[in-house]
Amino acid sequence: MIAVALRNLRHRPGGFVATFLSAFLGAALIMAFASLLDTASGADAASNESLVTTASVGGGWCLVIVAFAVTSTLTLAVRQRDQQFALLRSVGATGPQLRRMIVGEAVAVALLASAVAVPVGWALGRVLVDLLQNTGQVASTIDPVFGPVALGAGFGVTLTGSLVAAVATARRTAARDRRRQRPLLRRIGAGLFLLIGANCALLTATLMDGKGIDAMQTAGQAGIWAAIGLALLAPELLRLVTAVLGPVVRLFGAPGELALSGPRLSSAVMPVLLFTGIATGTVYMQGIEDRAAAGQIQPAYAQDIQTLNYVVVGMVTVFVAIMLVNTLIAATTHRRREFAQQRLAGATRGQVTGMVALEGVLITVTGVLGGLVASLFTVLPFGSARAGRVWPDASPAAFGIVAAIAVVLTASALVQTARRTLHGPATAAVRA
Amino acid sequence: MTDVVSLEALYKTYDGGVTALDGVTASFPAGSFTAVMGPSGSGKSTLLQCAAGLDRPTGGRVFIDGAELTATKDTAMTKFRRTRVGFVFQDYNLLPSLTVEQNVVLPLRLAGRRADRHRVREILDRLGLGDRRDELPERLSGGQRQRVAVARALLAQPAVVFADEPTGALDLRSAREVLTLLRSVVHQHGRTVIMVTHDPVAAAYADSVLFLADGRLAGSLRAPTPDAVAERLAHLGDRVGVPA
Ligand SMILES: Nc1ncnc2c1ncn2[C@@H]1O[C@H](COP(=O)(O)OP(=O)(O)OP(=O)(O)O)[C@@H](O)[C@H]1O
Ligand SMILES: [Mg+2]
Repeated sequence: MIAVALRNLRHRPGGFVATFLSAFLGAALIMAFASLLDTASGADAASNESLVTTASVGGGWCLVIVAFAVTSTLTLAVRQRDQQFALLRSVGATGPQLRRMIVGEAVAVALLASAVAVPVGWALGRVLVDLLQNTGQVASTIDPVFGPVALGAGFGVTLTGSLVAAVATARRTAARDRRRQRPLLRRIGAGLFLLIGANCALLTATLMDGKGIDAMQTAGQAGIWAAIGLALLAPELLRLVTAVLGPVVRLFGAPGELALSGPRLSSAVMPVLLFTGIATGTVYMQGIEDRAAAGQIQPAYAQDIQTLNYVVVGMVTVFVAIMLVNTLIAATTHRRREFAQQRLAGATRGQVTGMVALEGVLITVTGVLGGLVASLFTVLPFGSARAGRVWPDASPAAFGIVAAIAVVLTASALVQTARRTLHGPATAAVRA
Repeated sequence: MTDVVSLEALYKTYDGGVTALDGVTASFPAGSFTAVMGPSGSGKSTLLQCAAGLDRPTGGRVFIDGAELTATKDTAMTKFRRTRVGFVFQDYNLLPSLTVEQNVVLPLRLAGRRADRHRVREILDRLGLGDRRDELPERLSGGQRQRVAVARALLAQPAVVFADEPTGALDLRSAREVLTLLRSVVHQHGRTVIMVTHDPVAAAYADSVLFLADGRLAGSLRAPTPDAVAERLAHLGDRVGVPA
C-alpha cells in the first residue's frame, strides 16, 4: 500500500498541491520563529529575552494556525478521494491497507514540504532578527543562527500535524460508513476553543487592565482561539447564513436553487473566517494601542511589539490567504463532474458560474461575519483594558478593507477555477 | 412525414486523432423509434452526442425540428437542448445532491420555466416512482435511477429523445419497463426516439435499426426481430474484419 501511496503522489500530483502548499508555508513560518531560539542561545541576556519573547508570541500564534491549516487542508484533500477509496476497496483493499496508504502519502508530503521550507524559513528568520536589531532590541553584533530548534520545530510540527490529521481522517474514511462524520466531537472542540478565547478575553479585561501594552498578549490570543472555535462551527454557521439569505439567493432562479441545494462548502468558510478574524482583531488592537500610547512614556519594547504585530499579521494574512485560494481551488476542481452533469442537464456555462458565484457569496458572508465576531474577542477587552472604553473609537474603514480583500480573494479564486473547470465539452468532463 | 432529426455528413475527430464519425448521413422521421447498433468503439455514443448537441461534430450539419443546431453557439445550443431534446445517459448523470423530483424538473428550471406539478407527479407515478419523489438518487436502485433519467428527458415534451444504452445497467424486468415506456412515448405520444443498444432484444422494440461500423453507416433493418438483428450484427463483425 505504501507503493500505491507513492505512485499516487507521482501520478496525481495535483491532488496534493493544496496539502503541500499549506505544509510548506506553515513549516517555513514555524522554522523562522523557532530559529530565533537558536539565535538566542548565544546572545547576551537582554537580546536573549527579546528573542525568546518574540519567538514564543509570534511562534505560538503561528503554531496554532499552522496546525489547524495543515489538518483542515489534509482532511479536505483526503475526503475528496472517496471514489478512489471505494474503488480500491472494491478490488480488495482492506481498511488497514487504505489507512496505511493515506498516512503514507501524508507523511511523504509533509517531509517533502518541510525540506523545501528550510531555505525559506532560514531567510525569514534572518529578516526577523534584522527587524529586532533595527529597533535596538537585539544587539547588532549577534549573528542569526538557524539550528536544531528551527529544524526540530519545523519538521516536528508539520509531521505531527499531518500524521494526526491523516490518522484521524483515515480512520473515518476506512470505516465503511463514510457519511457518519462526527459533528459532536467537532462541536465540543469548538466550544472548548471558544471558552479558552472567552477566558483570555476576560483575563484581558480584568487582570491585564492597567498593564498597558502587555495586555496585547492575552487579547491577541483571545481572538485567535475564538476564530478557531468559530471556524470549527463553519458548517452550522453556513447553514444559518444560507437559511437567512436563502430567499434572496432564490431570486436568481435556477443557479440560485442549485447554489442552495448543492454540497455545502463549509471547508472554504474556515480560511475566510480565520483571515478576517485575525486581521481585523490585530489591526484594531494596534490602533487602540497607538492612540492610548500617544504622548505617554513607553517601555522600550513597545515599538518592537508594534512592528512584530504587523509582521505577524502580514505573515499570517499571506498564509491564510494562500490557504483560502488553495482550498477554494481544490474544492472547485473536485466538482468537475458535478458541473458537467449540470451542463448535460441543460445548464449553460454562465448558469454554472452564476451558481458558483452565489455559493461564494454565502461563504464570504459567513466567513466575514464569523471573523468579525472573533475579532471582537480581541478588540473589546483590549479596549476596556487599555483605553477604558469597550467599543473602539475607530473608523470601520479598516474592517471594510479586510472584508473587501476576503471578497476579492474568494470571488477571483472561485470564478477563475470554475471557468477553467468548465472548459471543454461536458461529455468528456463527466467521464473524468 | 417530416424529419425531426437529420444529420448531414457528420465527421468527428477527437483530440487524440481518433476518427469516431467518418461521414454519417441519416434522417429520423417524426414518430419513429430507431435503434443504433454496432461494435464497441464504432462511434454510436459520439453520433448520439453530436446529434443531440452535447458535443460538436468536427464537420457536417445537424438539424433538429428544422433548426440547424451546428450553426449556433454553445449557450444557444444548450438552451435549445433544454426543451427540445431529451437525453438518457447510460450512467444516468443525475445530480447527487438533488431529490428525484428536483432532478426531473432541473432542465425546465434552468430554462426559467415552472414545471407543472401535476405533470411531474403523473410522469413519476407512471414510472413507478410516485413514492420516491423526495429520495436522493444514491438511495435508488440502478433501474429506478434510469427511470428518473427517463422522466427527466420526457418532462419537457421534447421533439426527440436520445438514449445511450438506457438498459445497459438494468436487469431484464427493469429493462423491459424502460423499453416499453420508450415505445409508448413514440406510439402514443408521437415523439421520436433514437436509442443506442448492444442488445438485439432491446433493438427489436424499435421500428428500425441503423448499423454503424468504424464510424460509418453499415446498413439498416426495418421491423427488426431479435434473430434478424443478431444475424446482421454477426455479419457486421465479418465485414469489419475483412477489407472490401
Ligand atoms: N472523449 C474522447 N476522446 C478521445 N477519443 C474518444 C473520446 N470519446 C470516444 N473516443 C473514441 O472514439 C471512438 C468511438 O467512441 P464511441 O464512444 O462513440 O463508441 P461506441 O460505439 O459508443 O462504443 P461502446 O459501444 O463501447 O459504447 C472510440 O475509438 C473511442 O476510443
Ligand atoms: Mg457508447
